Amino acid sequence: MTPCMGIGSDTISPGWVGAPTRRICIHCSSPVSERRISSFCCSGCETVFALLQARGLGEYYRIRDRDRGLRKVAPVELSPDSYTQLDDPKFVELYARRSGELLTLKLYLEGVHCAACVWLSEKIGDFVPSVQSARLNLGDSVVEVTIQPSGSFAAVAREYARLGYRPHPVRTEDLDALARRSDRMLLARTGVAGACAGNIMLLAVSLYAGADGPMAEVFRWVSFALSLPVLCFSATPFYRGAWIALRGRQISIDIPIALGIFLGALSSAYNLVAGSPYLYFDSLSSLVFLMLASRYLLRKTQQAATHASRLIHFLTPARVRVIDSQSGSFREIAVDEIHPGDEVEVRAGECIAVDGFVVSGRSSLDNALLTGESKPVTASEGMIVFAGTVNQMGPLRIRATAAGGATRLGRTLRAVQEDLSKKAPIVTFADRIARYFVAAVLVAVAIVFGVGLRSGLDHAVNLALALSIVTCPCAFALATPLALSISMGRCARQGVLIKGVDVIERLSQARSVLFDKTGTLTRGKYEVTGWDPALGLDKDLKLASELAALESCSQHPVAKAIVQRFEPPASERLPTVQEFSEELGWGVLGQVQGHRYEISSRGAQGPLHAASSAVAVWRDGVRLGRIYFGDCLREDSSDVMARLRDLGLSVGIISGDSADAVARVAANLGLSPQEWRAELSPEDKREEAARTPRTVMVGDGANDAGALAAAHVGIAVQGGMEVSLLSADIYVRSPGVGAVGPLVVIARETLKVIRRNFVFSLVYNALGIAGVVAGLVTPLFAAILMPISALTVFLSSLAGTARLRRALGEITR
Amino acid sequence: MNIIYLLLPLALLLGLGFAVAFLRMVAQGQYDELETPAHRMLLDDEIVPNTVPRKTMR
Repeated sequence: MTPCMGIGSDTISPGWVGAPTRRICIHCSSPVSERRISSFCCSGCETVFALLQARGLGEYYRIRDRDRGLRKVAPVELSPDSYTQLDDPKFVELYARRSGELLTLKLYLEGVHCAACVWLSEKIGDFVPSVQSARLNLGDSVVEVTIQPSGSFAAVAREYARLGYRPHPVRTEDLDALARRSDRMLLARTGVAGACAGNIMLLAVSLYAGADGPMAEVFRWVSFALSLPVLCFSATPFYRGAWIALRGRQISIDIPIALGIFLGALSSAYNLVAGSPYLYFDSLSSLVFLMLASRYLLRKTQQAATHASRLIHFLTPARVRVIDSQSGSFREIAVDEIHPGDEVEVRAGECIAVDGFVVSGRSSLDNALLTGESKPVTASEGMIVFAGTVNQMGPLRIRATAAGGATRLGRTLRAVQEDLSKKAPIVTFADRIARYFVAAVLVAVAIVFGVGLRSGLDHAVNLALALSIVTCPCAFALATPLALSISMGRCARQGVLIKGVDVIERLSQARSVLFDKTGTLTRGKYEVTGWDPALGLDKDLKLASELAALESCSQHPVAKAIVQRFEPPASERLPTVQEFSEELGWGVLGQVQGHRYEISSRGAQGPLHAASSAVAVWRDGVRLGRIYFGDCLREDSSDVMARLRDLGLSVGIISGDSADAVARVAANLGLSPQEWRAELSPEDKREEAARTPRTVMVGDGANDAGALAAAHVGIAVQGGMEVSLLSADIYVRSPGVGAVGPLVVIARETLKVIRRNFVFSLVYNALGIAGVVAGLVTPLFAAILMPISALTVFLSSLAGTARLRRALGEITR
Repeated sequence: MNIIYLLLPLALLLGLGFAVAFLRMVAQGQYDELETPAHRMLLDDEIVPNTVPRKTMR
């Protein structure tokens, strides 16, 4: 059982805990509660299983089991959405692509991750006959569905939702096409460089082995010809990079590279015509190939992460039901089309999409994501509500005062975007080193040239050329991209998406970590944390099931928490409830098994035993005791705090919740009163994160978005709102903060690997310079030194450090 | 060793052929996405109807 905060073992009994279960869900392999009789963890999984069996698609499980060990399947959550908006002609025009008669739509599917998902999602044609083809891109989780004009995208979306992959339409973008084109170009350049380098090396080997006469002459000319595509086509990104840097009066790693390539090619061409054997075509082209390949690798890893998080941005706008003032009928429109003054209906379980006030209806609202408040709020007529809160109970009618960008949520989003655009890129370690490097090379060339002049101009030029070729920073250029892409790629495979190339370096500089409370350190759910011993709910299962029966008639968060905790095994039926009545903000009343029960706030005052609220249980007019509620800490929260302190970071909590609630959590995590702040508005949070130097912000809610963007590094955790995912630099796809500790270690160790790589490449460069001075530099010397230095850097990056490997192993979904 | 003068152009031609093939594959987008095909090759072409998953057979 998970540890709940604030249970004093002597005052409150530990609660009814089912024995650890060994059964796992057939569909999703998560543990099945003892209380369920079926072999599934939830009805969603059961439905999907039945569906697959009925359609003869049980093969899914065979494929999945063969592909085991990848990632876990999430339990299926059934969504009530009918997706009718997907068939709206306006929507189709905007989102779908038309080719001839056929229509193609891209859908982002939540929860696809393995071969079985590929197989199943492409089998959608078995469910919806009008589907022509479906093709899944597992990296992006995007499926491209092509249907006949008579077909319906809504039907397709509904089937995906029934299979447990919640679909979201994705807009096809020009940006993607552009990125794809430059990806292909880079790959083409790399391929050409590789092909030419390989062939040149074959020729070079025979030249080094002592080929002579007319055949050697042919070989030299052929290797020159083969190097032309490399120099004129493949290497152009380096020329462009160097040119841009020069024009901006900056120094980048591209400058020495371009210089080395240029001088090497020039002198080799001169020597070719002059009949001298000093040709560097082999070294130059393999160098270009290696550097391009490492850049391609880094680019691909980074793209995978940014793409996954950017997709969320393009999800369709929410739909809302507007009530027509004249006819009183409902009309579903996009949230952008709402005007202030419109009246909308929000059903239970839906997210409110506008700012406004309640016209009719009573309900309880969950503010956790918007403000960080963990306690549900009762909404009644006249109350002001904000977009982003979740309606938990009955339907509400709300008169909109603001919609879209004018809402509180919309303003937050805009502030975040401003912050993000202001966030200046840091001067990376590689940039700084490159400056010194370029200066050092230029000085060395000048000295060697000067010294060489004593034995003639020819000799001096040759020496200077040899030096600039040998010091061409191939290993140097590989040092950062290789180490970064390996760390980022491994993190991504574990569900941690790192969005930028400088994020790892920034994270390694972190001095403190600020956490959001609700939903990040805690589970963000209202749960039963304990009860008075007099109630004896852990032993008196009859009482427990009677209370669960009474509360199962209500939708209130308190009632849901009680039902979740005390629901008897599915084999037992809940007793029937008679004369049920509910008063919102007060409690419930009803007759169960001949007893008159009341669970209410009457007589619920008193010390809370570290819970956040309590209700009293009355039977036949006798007060039996109280049940306590609160937001439970996540299992890993306190470990993470200890870990971060061990790493020398200071930790803190900044929360929008009440001081009481935050103080309790802080005390449980062993934080001193100086280390937490409560009742902060989103703006306060942002300020706090911006004010603290080199801080990491970890959060999930909309109220954290500003802080995530303003902090040195923002980490968003699973379950958060889209805004926070967008503004964060790192997105952790698993709930909880367990990944934060290992992430810091990974960042520091990756930087260590990068530094080690630099040391290696500098050592090889020093060797090269020594070789030049000693007069040892021949093309053979360069041809051996360069690949060896690149290989060393490659192996060093691949090996990482022991701590890095351990930390990467610790991040698991 | 005069055979080299024949073999060298032949080898280069062969290499050119592969390079052109590679460039065409890149242009067609065969390298755009490298993750799904790795999984897709695990899938069989034929489907045995109503296969019972292993776990239920216990």
